Amino acid sequence: MVKAGIITFLGTNCERDTKQALDFLGWNTEFIWQNDKIEKHYDVIFLPGGFSFGDHISSGRIAKLTPAVKSLPVGKTLIVGICNGFQILTEAGLLSGALTYNENLHFISKVTDLVFQNRIIRLPIAHHQGNYTGKNGEDVIMRYKINVNGSDDNIAGIYDRKNKIIGMMPHPERAVFKELGLTDGRKVFEFIKNEI
Amino acid sequence: MNEFEAVVNVKLKDTIKDIKAQTLEQAVHNLISVKNLKCRVGSRYSIKFEAKDKKEAEHIIKTIADEILSNSVIEEYEILW
Repeated sequence: MVKAGIITFLGTNCERDTKQALDFLGWNTEFIWQNDKIEKHYDVIFLPGGFSFGDHISSGRIAKLTPAVKSLPVGKTLIVGICNGFQILTEAGLLSGALTYNENLHFISKVTDLVFQNRIIRLPIAHHQGNYTGKNGEDVIMRYKINVNGSDDNIAGIYDRKNKIIGMMPHPERAVFKELGLTDGRKVFEFIKNEI
Repeated sequence: MNEFEAVVNVKLKDTIKDIKAQTLEQAVHNLISVKNLKCRVGSRYSIKFEAKDKKEAEHIIKTIADEILSNSVIEEYEILW
């Protein structure tokens, strides 16, 4: 059984969605508080979406200084940042580039078509700073079919295979239960499981 | 210990599209007729603290600016004392 840790910061709001989705998929999950050093073993650690520290200064800027992020087992355990988690990983320098304000300055919240593993999947996005720029070396694992936010090359998700770090703006955890209308998030978690 | 006060001005690098500035320019043009308008948008932080001497103060404020107030991938800053 996959053992997953989900880091929770002040202002995180997708940790329960992520836990429920992973529990449904049969993973063993637990929360990790921002102020705790990560000392236990996990197969994968998630940095979920939300507004850590109220997005003050800039999204993800403050969270990068927490004991949990500073003690991430980089290179040893698969790390996955979703939305605000992706922003935290770029701010921490664990993934290259930066996520700036969407080109139209709107907070965008909608279901979007994405190219993922040579097929189209549909996942929700919900962000204000998702305009990705400055990739340096990582593989692109997910692109917007239509560029919704101004990101370089339609990039929605990247993967540093060497250090085992994934970042993506779309929310796969919101697309797992068929009652919610979308289930393509399962394909993303299947991919993550295969990368452990 | 000596008291120091620094102002840190952070703005996007010129190579990064400043979307807020573009919005500001649009608003200015809606407000008043201006020729060759060029705006840049940034943040200003005023920070007071105590340090042993100027050298230590500079180190402290540079660390804060590098790690919290700016992201060197897209932003640059100036420190005013």
